Amino acid sequence: MKSLVTIHEGRAANWALRLVAGAAVIGVMLWVPTHGSNPLIDQFTNAFVLMAAAMSLNLLLGYTGQISLGHNAFFGIGAYATGIIVSRWGWSPLVTFPIAFIVAFVIGVLVSLPALRIKGIYLALVTLALGLVFPQFIKWRKLTWLTGGPRGLDNAGFNFSKKRRTYEIFGWNPFGDMRGQGAKPFYFWIAAGVVVITYLVCRGVVKSRSGRSLIAIRDNETAAAVMGVNLAGTKAMAFGISAGLCALPGCVSTILTNNVVPDSTFLSIAGSITFLIVMVIGGAGSLWGPIIGSGLYVFITQKTGDWSDEKNIPAIIRPFFSWAKTSPGTGIFAVTLIALMFVAPRGIVGVWHQHSPRLMRIVPRRAGTGTGTGTLVDTPVDDTVAGEL
Amino acid sequence: MSLLEVRDITVRFGGIVALDGLSFSIDEGQICGLIGPNGAGKTTMFNVVSRIYQPASGQVLYRGNDLVGARPRRLPLLGEVPFLGHQVGVPAHEIANLGIARTFQNLALFPSMSLLENVMVGAHSQGHVGFGRAITRIGTAKENRVTRDFAGDLLVQLGLGPLMFRPAAGLPFGTLKRLEIARALAARPSFLLMDEPASGLTHGEVDELGDTIVTIRDQFSLTVLLVEHHMSMVMSISDRVVAMEFGRKIAEGTPFEVQSDQRVIDAYLGTGV
Repeated sequence: MKSLVTIHEGRAANWALRLVAGAAVIGVMLWVPTHGSNPLIDQFTNAFVLMAAAMSLNLLLGYTGQISLGHNAFFGIGAYATGIIVSRWGWSPLVTFPIAFIVAFVIGVLVSLPALRIKGIYLALVTLALGLVFPQFIKWRKLTWLTGGPRGLDNAGFNFSKKRRTYEIFGWNPFGDMRGQGAKPFYFWIAAGVVVITYLVCRGVVKSRSGRSLIAIRDNETAAAVMGVNLAGTKAMAFGISAGLCALPGCVSTILTNNVVPDSTFLSIAGSITFLIVMVIGGAGSLWGPIIGSGLYVFITQKTGDWSDEKNIPAIIRPFFSWAKTSPGTGIFAVTLIALMFVAPRGIVGVWHQHSPRLMRIVPRRAGTGTGTGTLVDTPVDDTVAGEL
Repeated sequence: MSLLEVRDITVRFGGIVALDGLSFSIDEGQICGLIGPNGAGKTTMFNVVSRIYQPASGQVLYRGNDLVGARPRRLPLLGEVPFLGHQVGVPAHEIANLGIARTFQNLALFPSMSLLENVMVGAHSQGHVGFGRAITRIGTAKENRVTRDFAGDLLVQLGLGPLMFRPAAGLPFGTLKRLEIARALAARPSFLLMDEPASGLTHGEVDELGDTIVTIRDQFSLTVLLVEHHMSMVMSISDRVVAMEFGRKIAEGTPFEVQSDQRVIDAYLGTGV
């Protein structure tokens, strides 16, 4: 297949491409909190929470191949870590992030212990049990002194003074007005920070020896063990890191709503399913898949949020949905999901990998020192051996 | 001293005895052929040495250390701690650190990875970057570069250079067999177990493979244990041959001795009616 543009990795064109992409991302990130409307900022913030959670699940399910339907529990551990520490002890919400990470990491490693011996559908069941039990455990009467029972915890986020406060950097006001509980740009930055940290952790792991061992476990456990991969230790670390990362957006969700209740969406099993869905539609086993999937999910749900009033439905699709008494958003998302699984079984990123070579191909840097000229074989394989890529 | 010494290894799967008191030894630098009809227990023997199967009894001595017997349990960082009891044998993932690598009969590659990444995973036992350093990126760039170049060189040496960025899935069987050899060599082994490397190859490729095995033995100073059904290749490159049938050793010696052994002939051709 001939591609329109061929770019060599590490050359000027490649760096230019990276710079343009990076500038676009940073541009959006700067424009939204300073110039965007409040609903837009909210939309981005909610998408960030979902993104970080889906990325953490991606590390475990997409890369290591260990299915988990209990990530709502790790999300909830983060949410309650912030809730308990801020509401009961009055610490700053920002210090709860590392604490939540460590607590969820330890619990993730503990959960992985049974997971070391089972796989596939059985592992799904064990983690599903964790996800189902978590909200009930939080509501347990003997824990009410800590978790607040079914009513949850209030005043669990930031509480700025009533006076209007702004922090300006050379006349630029990145955090907005910080008054009472209202500081949408400020929350945007916290959620964005969590996404960036999660992305950097995932990227660091994936592009290293440890990340290769994760993919090796997914592809062929026996071969991975023979290559020297410690299956038990690596799986436990993958569980731990994934759980720890999933707790961070949990903290953000508590800060955003200023309270935490055991029956909110992402803390119940629906949260796990949502993380799973957005990861799959974006593209499991890719760094950008969960980001794109979460963005799409939040876009569709927000767009269709007020469609229970049929006047809000765009005229072209109104006949299909106007009969519904409730908002057709969930149904629209379900139809989108089914359609996507038909045309893009490997997610949106999968479609990109499949079709982008027609447009642009990035040739990786040559591997090897070039000293190994003495070949061990008489007839080297040539590039045409398996047809075109 | 022999590099690998197998003593009275017995493996049972339920009521089936796959290996029945098998004993043989391999000296350093040798190419040892392991032959026998299908079901003789050759691959089972490989899986015992790679610690995938635990034998019911017997010892596998590698450089004098038993790989399969009970040993004091060791913890990471702390080493041997009293009252922890014993663990059975060396864990499977530590076999690569001891310098033992293997290829698989029916290909056990990582299909979603490129050829280059497959070989880089093969070098896993050579690396040091764990999760902590991967997240903080301390030393990852250097290790990635070194491993990548090392793997690239190996692929070029095995004639797979032009394909190194292709995913392993979908390539021809013969190419993937070569990739398995490259991946095994990436662990810088001193002992290489090859499970039917010639299966599925054409006649020309089989001859070439024989030369390749001798060359890598010399170049990487390896000891090779070779399971193979292509008799002409086994007999031409092996220093010693062990013949098996029904989990037992029936003959051992130079290729000529084994070829002329009546029990080997019977095992392959039948004893007649």
